[in-house]
Amino acid sequence: MSAGATIALLGQPNSGKSTLFNALTGLRQHVGNWPGKTVEKKEGSFSYGGKEYRVADLPGSYSLSANSDEEVITRDFIASGEADVVCILADSSQLQRSLFMLADYAGINVPCFLLLNMADVAEDQGKTIDAKTIEKKLGIPVVPFSATDIRSYDSFYKTLEKALSKDSRINVEELAAQYGSIKGYQDICDLIPENVLEGYSPMWLAVKVLEKDEVVIAKLKNALDAETFGRIEEAARGTNGAVATGGCKFRWIDELLGETVSAGNNTVRLSRLDRIYTNKFWGKAAVILTVLLGLIASFIPALPLMGVGEAVLAVKAPVMNALYSIGCPEFLILIVGDVIIQSFSYIFKMLGFVFGVTLVFGLLEEVGVMARISYVFDNTMGKLGLQGKSVMPFLVSFGCTMGGAAGARVIDNWGQKVLTIALAWAVPCGAAWATIPMLASIFFGPGAVGVIVAILFTMLVHMWITAKVFGGQLVKKEDRYGMIMELPPYHKPKWGALFRYVLGRTKETFIRVTKVILLVCGIFWLLSYSPSGNGGILYSIGVAIEPVTRIFGLPWQLFLSYVASAVGKEGAVGVISALYSGGSYGNAFTQAMSGGADTSNLSSLLLANVTKPEALAFIFAMTFNMPCVVALAATFQETHSAKWTARIVLYYTVVSLILAFIAYHIGMLIW
Amino acid sequence: MEELLELLKDGHARTLELLASELGTDTDDIKRKLEYLENMGIIRKVCLSPCGAGKCAECAMHSGAAPCKGCLPENGFKNMGEMWEVDKGLIAENRG
Ligand SMILES: Nc1nc2c(ncn2[C@@H]2O[C@H](COP(=O)(O)OP(=O)(O)O)[C@@H](O)[C@H]2O)c(=O)[nH]1
Repeated sequence: MSAGATIALLGQPNSGKSTLFNALTGLRQHVGNWPGKTVEKKEGSFSYGGKEYRVADLPGSYSLSANSDEEVITRDFIASGEADVVCILADSSQLQRSLFMLADYAGINVPCFLLLNMADVAEDQGKTIDAKTIEKKLGIPVVPFSATDIRSYDSFYKTLEKALSKDSRINVEELAAQYGSIKGYQDICDLIPENVLEGYSPMWLAVKVLEKDEVVIAKLKNALDAETFGRIEEAARGTNGAVATGGCKFRWIDELLGETVSAGNNTVRLSRLDRIYTNKFWGKAAVILTVLLGLIASFIPALPLMGVGEAVLAVKAPVMNALYSIGCPEFLILIVGDVIIQSFSYIFKMLGFVFGVTLVFGLLEEVGVMARISYVFDNTMGKLGLQGKSVMPFLVSFGCTMGGAAGARVIDNWGQKVLTIALAWAVPCGAAWATIPMLASIFFGPGAVGVIVAILFTMLVHMWITAKVFGGQLVKKEDRYGMIMELPPYHKPKWGALFRYVLGRTKETFIRVTKVILLVCGIFWLLSYSPSGNGGILYSIGVAIEPVTRIFGLPWQLFLSYVASAVGKEGAVGVISALYSGGSYGNAFTQAMSGGADTSNLSSLLLANVTKPEALAFIFAMTFNMPCVVALAATFQETHSAKWTARIVLYYTVVSLILAFIAYHIGMLIW
Repeated sequence: MEELLELLKDGHARTLELLASELGTDTDDIKRKLEYLENMGIIRKVCLSPCGAGKCAECAMHSGAAPCKGCLPENGFKNMGEMWEVDKGLIAENRG
C-alpha cells in the first residue's frame, strides 16, 4: 500500500470533528499530548483507494487567534506544512456562524477543502445550501456531509482526492478587499514580505497584527528588522483592531453565502408581556407594579403560618397555669410564658412572611421576570454611576444584605462596588420583610399594604439620594456602554425545585431567627425584670433617654428595639416582646394566673401602649437602620475600608432616625 | 460590529432582539457577533451567581465564601438569561 497524504481536521467545538475522526480511523488511532502542552493530540490512519492516509484531529477552538494554547497549537501545526491538506468543518445548520473558522483560516498557504457537516440537520430545518456556488466562489472543494451518516463518506473521500490533486487554496481576493477598508491594513500588509513566517500570507499576518495577536507580533519582531517592525507598530496604532477585522470576516461570509442558503424566516417577535417590560416608558412602572403585587400576594401563602403563630400564643395561658399549679417558681413561669412561648409565636408569624416573600420572588425568578427587572433598571444604574450588573446585588439584598454585599464582588471597580453596597443597605432584607408586614398588620390591619408601598417608595428615594450623597466621591461620571442581554423565555416554574428552595430557606431562617430572638428577648427581658415591680435597669435607662427618643416618635421601649435591630432585624421583635411584657409583667402575671388569657396577647398589649404614629416611626426607623452586624462585617470585608464602612453606618443611623421623625409627624397628621 | 458597539455607547441596555432591529439584521447575526466579541475579550459574560455556582471562573474564585445559606436559590439565579458587558479598557486601547 502506498503512502497517501496527511489530513488535518479543523473545526470549532461541536462541529463533528471527533465523529468524523472516529468514523475514518476506527480503531487505528492514537491519543497523546502536543509537545510540552496538556492539550490532547489525536492521530490515526485509514486506507482508501489503495493508499494509506494519516489523520490529525486538531484541538477544537473558536478561531485561530492566540486566545488559547489550542488555537496556537492548531495554527502552528497547519502552517508548519505537516499536513498536506486541511479539512475544515462547518455546521450547515448555522453556516453564517460556523464559517468563521474558514474566514480566519483564509490566508494560510495550505491546501484545504470545506466540509458542510450536519447537512441532515440543515435539511430538517428546511434549509437548502447551494454548495456548488460556494465552491465556485471559494476556489476550494465544498461538500455537504453528515458525519453520522455512513453513506456520505464516499463524497468525503472523493472531495479529499480532488483537493489533493488540485492543490486547492481559498480565493482570498474578496476578503483582502474587505480588509483593505480598514485603516492601517494596507500599510501593514505592504510592510510584511511574502514568506516571512512560513505558511502565513502577509494578509493573514497583517490582520493578526491589527487584532493585537501577541504571538504573531512577537514572531514578526524576531523576523523583521527593527525599522520595518517599528513602522508596522506605528501603522497598527489607533486602529479599530479585532472589531474591524471581525466585521470584515462576517461580511465576507455573508457575501460568500449570498443567495446560496435559503432558510425559513426566523425573525423573533417579542411576546406581548415583553413589549411592556422592555418599553422605554412603561417598563419601570410595570416592573415596580409587579414587585409590589408580588409582595402583596406574598401575604396569601403567609396566612397559614400566621395562624400557627396565633395558635402558639393560645397555649401560653394554659401552660403558665399548669406550671403555676405544679408549684414552679414565678421567675421560671414568666420565662416560659413571656420569653419562650411569646417568641415562638412571633417566629412563626415572621416565618409566614419569609415563606411568602421567598415563594413569590422565587416564582418571579423562575418564570423569567427577574431578568426583565435587571434589564429595565440597567439604564437607571448608569445614571447612578453604576454598572448594570449592580442590579443583581440589589435583588439579592431583598433576601439578605450580606448576600448583596458578597454579590457586589462581581463589580471590579472599587468605587462602584462600595456605592453598590452602600445602596444595597437601603433594600429591606428578608428579616425586615418578615418583621414589617407582621408589625404593620398588628397596628394597621389591611393598611399594612399601604405601609409596604410606602416602604418600597422610600427605598427608591433613599437609594437615589444616597447615590447622590456618596456618588461624587466614589464614582466618576463617564461614558458607559449599555449591557447586552438575552432575556430568558418565559417558562412554567418547576414547582418541586421551587418549593424545595422555599422550604429550605424557611427552615434556615427558622433556625437563625429562633436563636436571635430567644437570645435577644431573654437578655432584654432579664434586664427589664424586676420582682419589686419598679421596672428594672432598662426601665431606668429608658425613662432617662425618652425625652430625646420622643423627638423621633419613639417611646424608650421602641427606641431600644431600634438599637437592637442594628444587631439583627429579627431581634427587634424579641426586644419589643420582652420590654412590653416584662415592663407590665406584674399585671400580665396576675391576669394570666387568674385565667385572663386575653391580656397575655402581646398584640393587644402593644395596641394599648403604642400609638399608630409611633408604630409607623418605629417601622421606618427599623427598616432603614443598618441591616445587621453580619452585613456590617461583610461590607468591611468587601470594601476593605474601615473609613467607608463607618461612614455608611453613621449615614444609615442618621437617615433612619430622620425617616422615623418624618413618619411620626406624617402619622400624627393622619391619626 | 463597530455599529453594534457604537449603539451601546449611549449606556442603554439592549436585548438581542432590540439590537437586531436597530442594526437591521437578525438575532442569529447578533449572536455570532457576540460570540466573536466574547472570544476576542471585547465583551464578557456577566456572572450572576454570587453563591459560586462554578459557572464561570469569577464564581469559582470566591466559591468558598458563599453568602449565608438559604439567601439565594441553590446555585444562584438560574433563569436570568445571559448578559454581556463591554470591556471598556480594551476598546480604549484599541482606539489608541
Ligand atoms: N445529526 C448530526 N449530528 C452530528 C453530525 N456530526 C456530528 N454530530 C453530532 O454532534 C455532536 C458533536 O460532535 P463531535 O464529533 O463530538 O464534535 P467535535 O466537538 O467537533 O469533536 C455529537 O453528538 C455528534 O453525534 C451530523 O452530521 N449530523
